[in-house]
This record gives sequence, C-alpha cells and structure tokens, in this order.
Amino acid sequence: MIEFRSKEILSSMFIFGTSVTLIFALAFQVNQSIMQQFAPGLFWVVIFFTSVLGLNRLFIRERDANALWTWVGGPVDRGDAYVAKVIVSILLILISVLLFLIPFFIFLNLSTNFSWVHFSSILILGIGGLSTIGCVISGLTLQAGLRDVLIPILFFPSASPVIIATTKSTELIFRQKPVSEWQFWVLILLTFFVIFGLFGYLIFNRVVEE
Amino acid sequence: MSYFSQKNNLIHGAVAAILSAVNFYIIFTLDPPNKAQGIFGNIFFIHVPVSWTAFVLYFCVMVAGIYFLLYKDWIWDYRGLAFAEVGTLFMFLILTTGPIWAKPAWGYYWPWEPRLTTSLILFLIFLAYFMLREFGGNPEQVSRYAAIVGVLAFLDVPIIFYSVKFWLPEMQSHPQVGSYFDAANPLPTYLVLFSFFTLLVVSSLMVRYRVHILKLSGEK
Repeated sequence: MIEFRSKEILSSMFIFGTSVTLIFALAFQVNQSIMQQFAPGLFWVVIFFTSVLGLNRLFIRERDANALWTWVGGPVDRGDAYVAKVIVSILLILISVLLFLIPFFIFLNLSTNFSWVHFSSILILGIGGLSTIGCVISGLTLQAGLRDVLIPILFFPSASPVIIATTKSTELIFRQKPVSEWQFWVLILLTFFVIFGLFGYLIFNRVVEE
Repeated sequence: MSYFSQKNNLIHGAVAAILSAVNFYIIFTLDPPNKAQGIFGNIFFIHVPVSWTAFVLYFCVMVAGIYFLLYKDWIWDYRGLAFAEVGTLFMFLILTTGPIWAKPAWGYYWPWEPRLTTSLILFLIFLAYFMLREFGGNPEQVSRYAAIVGVLAFLDVPIIFYSVKFWLPEMQSHPQVGSYFDAANPLPTYLVLFSFFTLLVVSSLMVRYRVHILKLSGEK
C-alpha cells in the first residue's frame, strides 16, 4: 500500500525501462525487419534489468525501518509472506512493463500485428517466473553489504531459462506462429514458476530467520 | 597434527596420486579415437569424467545444504563449502577442456552445446555463491543463505539444460560421442569410467582436505 501511494519503485522502474528502450533504439540503427527479429530479446532484456531495480527495493522498507524482525516475530506464516511478496513483485513489474510497452513499440517502429492474448500470457508467466526466484534472492541478500551487486549476479544466471523461454516464445508470437510451435516454452515457464514458487514457499522461513 | 600424519589420509592421498599418474599415462599414450583431431581427441577422456565429477560435487553441495538447513550442524556447512570449491574447480576444467575439444571437432571454440552451456551457467551461479559467502552479512546467516543457493542452483540444472537444448535444436549434443563408445573397441568406455573413478578419489581427497582446513580455521 505504501508503494502504491508513493509510487517510488514504480516510477523508477518505468523511467529506467523507457530509458533503456531509448538507448537500444539509438544504438541499433537497423531496418524494420531486423529490428522485428531483435525486438523480443531487447524487450526481455529491458524487463530483466527493470526487475532487478524492483527486486533491489522489494525488502527495503523492512530493512530501512528495521521492521523485518518485528515481522518475523509476528503471527504470519513466512511462506504466506513470500507469496505476498511474489504477488507484489509481479504487479510492480507488470505495471511498469505496461507503461513502457507503448514507448518500446513506438521507438523501435515495431509491428503490432500479432495475438495480444498470447503475448500477455507469456508476459505474465515470464514475470511470474522472474518474481518467484527474484523474491528468494532479494531475501537472501537482505543483510548483505554488496546487495546491489549480489542481486544481479545471482539473479541473471539463475533466471536464464526464463529469458530463453520468453524470448523464443515472444519471437514466435511476433511472427504469428501457431500455439503448437511455442507451447514447449510455456511448459518450461510453468515448470520454472511451479518449482521455484514451491521452493520459495518452503524455504522462506529459513531466509528470514532471526 | 597435520592432515597427512593420519594413516587413512596418507593412504587416500597415495591412492589418488597413483591412480592419477596411471590415468594420465594411459590417456596421453593411447591412439586418438579420431585421427583428424590428433592429441586433442584424447581430451575427451578427461573432459567427460571431469563433467560427471563436477555435477556429482554440485549434487553433494545440494545434499550438504539440505542437511545444514535441517540439522544446523556446522560440519555440513564446511562440507558444503568444500564440495562447492572443488566442484567449481572441476567446472572450470570443463569450461577449459570443452572448447579445446570443440575446436577440432566442430571448428569453433564455443558451440553453445547444452551441457557446456549448462556448465557455464552453473559456474556463474557458483561464482555468485562465493561472493555471497564473502559479502553476505554475518557468518551464521551467510552459511544458511549459501546452503539455500546450493539447493537453488541444482534445482535449476534440468530446466537450464532443456531450455538450452531446445533453444538451439540443431545443436543437440556431442556429435562425436557415438564414435568414442564402440562395442567393438570397449577400451574408451573403460578409460572414461576409470578416469571418472580416479577423479572421484582425487576430488574426495580434496574435499576432505578442505574440510580439515575449514574446521581448523573454525576452531581458532
């Protein structure tokens, strides 16, 4: 609630996402057909970078207000707290993506002639996968001195199956391929989401242990 | 008392040294299975066993992590760290011997082969694991966090492998593997298994030695 009132993380994620898009648009001066091939990769790279910004700030209020230990001692199951953090993370990343989606398509001159329903499903699954593993990593680095560095170096290699699956499926959706051609990637994303969602739920009481 | 003054450790070390010497002698004196690759073809006999050993060691990191999280016994933390250190050394050997073998086999050093790519990603996760160990906060917390990363890393392995495998479907796996394992000439198969056994003995010695040092430093 505090975040939705102050919009501190959301605004920084949106501005960061739009700025990275602008940098890509300026750096890659290529014709539209090549850009259409590059676009899925660029799009998910922007989401990855933007997610790190959100994950950096996910537990910051607890840490700054020294409220983590109060929360640990409270009558709340820590697994439930993890689920709440994942939902908040998904919402934050999703809203910031929806905000920079328009500049992304305009700046890179991309065609919007594809199934938005399919695209949205991959978007939600991909962001869900990133959030499940991202929340565990964000919790693990909570007390670390090099938190800003540790989050990306742990998060990027661990979440590499998500970038492969989302980029490949988005590319096929942009090329208007039938579902049968990219359903395997949905399976990978679902597997990732379920495995790391369960892992996070079960392990979170060890992550925020006093 | 030094590590090798104990009889068991001395025997372990002697067995590891003899097996390694015999192993390297056979590998480098054997005719290359593929003449066109020359001596680089023989690297395969060390590359495959090194890969198996590295993955066994990372599996042990996960097991040690689970034990530490369940029982909070420090010996499992020492073991987990030692497995991770030795495993990462073996992982580095995979990433070195793989490209050396790939160049004559495929014509380029980095083929994005699923096993090699999975190894690279795991290697990066474990480099981050050591960073977390070093800069993660207070020691008790860091041990717990490292155990969690050890479990997380191994859970990721099958998903990474299948993602990379279907990411580049034309690059399925080692195309030359079949030519090495031939029923008519079983020596390469035995040699790969012998190398694997040798490396397991060597790595277990290294792990025991590291646990010994870590325990000593923990007791000070």
